[in-house]
Amino acid sequence: MTAIPGPPTEESPYDPVDLTPCFNNTGISPASDTGRGSFNVWGNSFPAESLPSGRAPVTVDGVPFRFPPVGRGNDNVRCAGQFVPVETGRFDWLHLLAAAERRTEDTMAMHFEDGTVDPEWIRVSDFWAAPARFGETKAFETPVMHYPHHVQQGVSALLWAQRVPVTRRADLKGFRLPRNVALHIFAATLQQTAVVASEHSHAQ
Amino acid sequence: MPSELAHRPAIVAPPLWYRDPISCLQSTFGTVLAQHGENPLFVLGAGWEFLYIPDDVRPEEFYYPCRYDGDLGRALAPHHALNSSWWRPADQRDPLRELRRALSEQRLVIAAVDNFHLPFRPAFGDVHAAHLLVVHGLDDELGLIHVTDAMPPAFQGPIPVEDFLRSWGSVNPQDEQDAFFSESRIQQRCLSVTVDAPYPDLTRERLAGWLRANLTGFEQPDTPVGWGGSAGLDRYTRDLVSRARAGETGALQSLYTFGWGMQAQAALHGELLRDRGAAWNCPGLAEAGRAVEGVAHAWTALRMTGAHGFGAPAEVADDLRWHAGVLRRRYAEALASVERAVGEL
Repeated sequence: MTAIPGPPTEESPYDPVDLTPCFNNTGISPASDTGRGSFNVWGNSFPAESLPSGRAPVTVDGVPFRFPPVGRGNDNVRCAGQFVPVETGRFDWLHLLAAAERRTEDTMAMHFEDGTVDPEWIRVSDFWAAPARFGETKAFETPVMHYPHHVQQGVSALLWAQRVPVTRRADLKGFRLPRNVALHIFAATLQQTAVVASEHSHAQ
Repeated sequence: MPSELAHRPAIVAPPLWYRDPISCLQSTFGTVLAQHGENPLFVLGAGWEFLYIPDDVRPEEFYYPCRYDGDLGRALAPHHALNSSWWRPADQRDPLRELRRALSEQRLVIAAVDNFHLPFRPAFGDVHAAHLLVVHGLDDELGLIHVTDAMPPAFQGPIPVEDFLRSWGSVNPQDEQDAFFSESRIQQRCLSVTVDAPYPDLTRERLAGWLRANLTGFEQPDTPVGWGGSAGLDRYTRDLVSRARAGETGALQSLYTFGWGMQAQAALHGELLRDRGAAWNCPGLAEAGRAVEGVAHAWTALRMTGAHGFGAPAEVADDLRWHAGVLRRRYAEALASVERAVGEL
């Protein structure tokens, strides 16, 4: 694995996950070369000018992410069943910056050190001028959409902040993304399990 | 042409109506229903079925399987008095004559167009694609036609008649950039829509009746028209995978188009049930709605797998089989959930 060097600090309960080895799609393009991006089957893409710069630290809802590289090739994971190993640890949430070609929901698999595996739902709304159908936070909304041959005014592209629970109280060692080409992951951060000060107790 | 120069359209501009999984078919009918004071969700979300008609799918965004001899209104709203019929101009010396008459009678008209020729569409001058919009005014003096298009980027206002005529009469030639909605002649087609409104109020009893009818439809075996109900879904998805494995690009081409109608219908039906479940404090109905929305979401993976695998169908056959299996399970879960909800209404 996988943790990206640099911020956040040691005190941070968040561990950014390096998805770079899985990047297989270019979903962001510059206005000068809109044809470089191909997020969906129509060749549309997010406008780079309306998003953070490549590798920039960004925070959404208090969760830190490392934005993917922009303008240097692939910048997101089009889900195709990739397995992402992580540094073993206890986590409550997998936070994602994600977008979808039409709203979609699927299952991913959480793999634990003790050999157990849990499927969990991952739900992401449409990137195309749509509301947050699954209650996500709108991380970035662009004022334009990139088409293969032009910049389209009046159509927004949406990048969502979504989260997937890690329900098992066991050490996570990795997760497998669904085989679902509609689903794209741009960044991921694991949130560590909060340390509980008191022991379990019950009334006598 | 600046809109302030235009005369007022014949009909007050109708409301724009859109949901993110629907196509121009549902959005245009929704606009017409809203103009009649009806809630489009209550009408277009009432029916839910599966119907696939072999060799019927056309490369048009507004394709929808229809068992009623071209009456798309009845197909979209089987529980309401909503009907439609296609027509074309009778006289090319004045192709706008029928439109002009309909507007003078305060009747909105849905027109088929090719996005390539419409200045407000993203595909303008770039991609040929069959589309629908609503016409609500015609100004012969200024040479403007007033249109409503709720699909992003939403547009409502006047455009030059010349642009409309080019789009309305386009041959919509094959376009490599749009394998799904090009190569379908527009032919100045229009839809006249009859809305026999006001419709009766939506009550628990009325909704329960619709749901029972929908469930009965799913239980019926294939119809003479096509492959219907749960059996039809099984047959369609297995045929799809088989044809993909054999390398038939046509199977994937029609999946994207046909699947959009089924996806839109499930999304609207699910939203209606969830909406009424919340309004009537009926948790079982809301859960059934969410389950039906899950059907719509499962259509996404199947449709997009087919679309991205369009050039190499055999390579995505296994993924299509996987997502087809998920889709069948979602339908089964949703049907069981709706059945339970009926018992609570």
